[in-house]
Amino acid sequence: MTNTLIFILAGAFSTATPLLLAAMGELVAEKSGVINLSIEGMMALGAAIAFMIAYQSGSHALGFLGGGLASVALSLIFSTLVLVLNANQVASGLAVGILGLGLSAFLARSFESLTIISLEKLDIPILTALPLIGPVAFHQDVVVYLGLGLAVALASFMSKTRGGLILRVVGEDPHIAHSLGFKVLRTRFLAISFGAAMAGLAGAYASTVLTPLWSDGMIIGRGWIALALVVFGTWRVFRILLGAYMFGLALLADLAVQSLGIRIPSQLLTSAPYVMTIIVLTVVSKDALRIKLNAPISLGENYKPSK
Amino acid sequence: MSVWPFEIVARTERSSRMLFVVPVLTVVLTVICATIMFTVTGNDAGTALYSIFVEPFLDAYGISEVLIKASPLIIIAQGLAIGFRARVWNIGAEGQLTIGAIFASLIPIYWVDQPFSLMLPSMIVAAGLGGVAWAAIAALLRTRFNASEIIVTLMLNQIAAQVLLYVINGPLKDPRGFSFPQSVSFPPEALYPLIVEGGLLRVNYSIILTLALSAVAWVFVAHSFSGYRLHVGGVAPAAARYAGFSANRAVWLSLLIGGACAGLAGVGEIAGPIGRLQPILSPGYGFAAIIVAFLGALTPIGIVLAGFFMAVIYVGTDGAVLSAGIPSSAPMVLQGLILVFYLMAYTLVNYQLRRKPGRMRA
Amino acid sequence: MKNLLKSVTAALLIGLSTPALADDPLKIGFIIPNAIGQIGWDYELNRGLDVMKEHFGDKIEVTAVDSVGEGPDATRVMTRLVAQGTNVLFLGSFGHMNDGLALAKQNPGLAVIHAGGYMNDTNFATYAVRHYEGAYLAGMAAGYATKDGQLGIVAAFPLPEVLGIMNSYVLGAQSVNPGLKDVKVIWLNSWYDPARERASTESLIAEGSDVIFSLFPGTTSTVATAEEKGVYVVATLSDITPVAPTKHLAGIQANFGPIYINLVQSILDHTFEGKDTFAGIKDGAVEIASLSPDLTADQKAAILAKQEEIRAGSFAPFTGPITDNTGAEVVAAGASLDDGAIKSMAFIVKGIDTTLPN
Repeated sequence: MTNTLIFILAGAFSTATPLLLAAMGELVAEKSGVINLSIEGMMALGAAIAFMIAYQSGSHALGFLGGGLASVALSLIFSTLVLVLNANQVASGLAVGILGLGLSAFLARSFESLTIISLEKLDIPILTALPLIGPVAFHQDVVVYLGLGLAVALASFMSKTRGGLILRVVGEDPHIAHSLGFKVLRTRFLAISFGAAMAGLAGAYASTVLTPLWSDGMIIGRGWIALALVVFGTWRVFRILLGAYMFGLALLADLAVQSLGIRIPSQLLTSAPYVMTIIVLTVVSKDALRIKLNAPISLGENYKPSK
Repeated sequence: MSVWPFEIVARTERSSRMLFVVPVLTVVLTVICATIMFTVTGNDAGTALYSIFVEPFLDAYGISEVLIKASPLIIIAQGLAIGFRARVWNIGAEGQLTIGAIFASLIPIYWVDQPFSLMLPSMIVAAGLGGVAWAAIAALLRTRFNASEIIVTLMLNQIAAQVLLYVINGPLKDPRGFSFPQSVSFPPEALYPLIVEGGLLRVNYSIILTLALSAVAWVFVAHSFSGYRLHVGGVAPAAARYAGFSANRAVWLSLLIGGACAGLAGVGEIAGPIGRLQPILSPGYGFAAIIVAFLGALTPIGIVLAGFFMAVIYVGTDGAVLSAGIPSSAPMVLQGLILVFYLMAYTLVNYQLRRKPGRMRA
Repeated sequence: MKNLLKSVTAALLIGLSTPALADDPLKIGFIIPNAIGQIGWDYELNRGLDVMKEHFGDKIEVTAVDSVGEGPDATRVMTRLVAQGTNVLFLGSFGHMNDGLALAKQNPGLAVIHAGGYMNDTNFATYAVRHYEGAYLAGMAAGYATKDGQLGIVAAFPLPEVLGIMNSYVLGAQSVNPGLKDVKVIWLNSWYDPARERASTESLIAEGSDVIFSLFPGTTSTVATAEEKGVYVVATLSDITPVAPTKHLAGIQANFGPIYINLVQSILDHTFEGKDTFAGIKDGAVEIASLSPDLTADQKAAILAKQEEIRAGSFAPFTGPITDNTGAEVVAAGASLDDGAIKSMAFIVKGIDTTLPN
């Protein structure tokens, strides 16, 4: 029983990592005022390209690089649509998402069901030997730690740097941002590209570390969970981090429930993250002032440079 | 940015010539990309393109399939477009379709051994109510708690998929189905009659319902005051308030109509080509319809045309897998490309590229 | 009005082509539900197809298409194949059953051959494989190989066929290892979720399982994870050596080829009937494969000897006395289950620690 508990608490770090990476990317895009509904497709493309490269080269690092770049390349289409052509963000996101899912299946079709070796879990002297906390938190692969580090870096970027300030102003009111001399479209372009890169890395983690194999459709909704996570975390990095771990646990909860012999429909557990997201959104949105502090006001609205 | 000598500016008037140019441009761009793709995969591009764009029209079977595929896309898109015009973003048609189908399925599953003649009409009503009920959650949370309907409807899609899995693995599972996750097959009274009985043609009367509702949508949008107020409410909320129309009513009306239409699409599937409740009811109609709504420029007639266009692409690409031997993963790439190209081309209708007026500092 | 509408639409749709009865070659349409990998269901369907093509040569002409799951689009592919004059339609997914039946009814000249269905019609045949026979042999291997007596199973849905395989596997293991602990099971409740498969496998290993059985999951994830963790692995359907080159213990190899050859030959001979084929070791449709070199020569010999007993009909896995996990006797001493009971199995044998989901 203890073994199962430790396994699930530790495993949640891995299942949380792709959610966290993708959600941090989406957070930045949304903070700039752009909602990108193509994460699922970008993750799928990142996963496919990363797996193909890692399989051929034997290098996970190259795989991650390729997965991230592939997603960024795909996001150029999205950026062109919403920033240059002023197309609707919702429709553009869905269209690019479908293209990404299609491309992943198409490009990696001869890699179906092939497998590679996952990344090794790192042991940290002294810490890993600690009871309970050691095997749970200090026996993870390097990307888990990088993800945590990135969360810290992103949080301080958002709150402490000029870049973070520009990002937030652009998302709050692009017209004011423009009149302050900030480059709205350039900021949004960078934010979208960052978001895509993170989605690609999230996909790469899914196909080369979490489940080191390629199988068409393997992202199965994790991109939508990442989107939920941004809202669940009310557009705050550390809440998203916490939420990612909770959602990661939820994905594994079924195993704990089964090993305890409790009969709960697995569908109820699978729905839990989505239900929790709706509840959190409802609670925070009710207080208009509270959500204003975090949620980008201009989310989903294009900015047309006038005159 | 500053090197780029052109800028994109809104057209003051809709260019009607452009409405013709857009689909042509989309097809041309797609054909170019597809030709490159098929050349790479070693297929004969000519055969593949012929299968995609011509074969669906060659025989009654192809036309029948296009009608079947177009029906859910059009009916959902009509409902969504009413909301989109009022800037209410219902992304949850997929979930509303699912819940509508589950509601409708209760009737033929419960009365499977005592079918009655009004079974199908009562299922259609139930499906509409199911879709409305699921959409009402989003409307309530938006109007009472200010929760973004985009996120709520997206989440409700995922939850609806799980509800469906639960009911077909549990209470609605066929008791004689060897535990396979699906319901009993519906009795004939629960199915839309085929337009041409006794052949391979699967097209049924749901397409007539869809076209009738499209006509209603056209009347609603073009000729009714409510439709006008909904539109104004989206474009200029302040003016709408002045005209005595609250934003909350627009949200409710938009989501409920969207939900009802998606529910009807759901019953169209289970009482049409599927004939029972099963784990997969829709190959993403709810999402594709969002794009169909935009392709149709959010106008009822445009949506009918866009729905048929998309249906031709779906049927044609599926056919190309068989007749031209393109990889089974290629259709989705082509569909994605068409959507992207269409969105790009569509902006040409509303915007034009022109040389930037000279500035002192470039 | 309605009639007018009907005739107008009918007029629009004129040109309906009924499938022509081609003389030769026999036109075969073959639908595979997912992408073809290197092991597993879709791979085996495709391998069976290749065997059939090899056997009949230019007597048949095959149009095969993969990645056609259940749903309205699958129906379109089937119908199109029929419209193009297909004489024989192979359907590879359980979800194709109802549409296949409807097509068979509409087209008396068509023969439909469906994998795993439970309904038949005059021109709608079904086939299934006695995986449970091979499972007994694989269970023996697991019983021999386990050090701690702890087996773990990752299974898809609690369908009768899955329960049959699971029970037979555990009976086989118990027959050679009296010290076996209660077998642990994780239900995926999904045909497809590679991440859950991996987590389930890791969880079973964390709980002490030293042989993992991958029972019909949708991907190679379970087998690959066991290989990576250095734990013996058994799987249904395929020789798993390509995915688990060092830790493969046994594969319950399904061979669809012989079944296809029989069915197509019966069509060519005009003796085709819409009945069920339930083929096992005797018919060459099941065999034990990828036995680990770590098994001793005696152990291998015992397994192969048991395979020959099953082939000869002198042994059947579900021979009593068998007790279920509530302690009730489900098969009396000396009796064996008939095919009907095997195909609708709803019990779990003593020694399996699980509650059925839902």
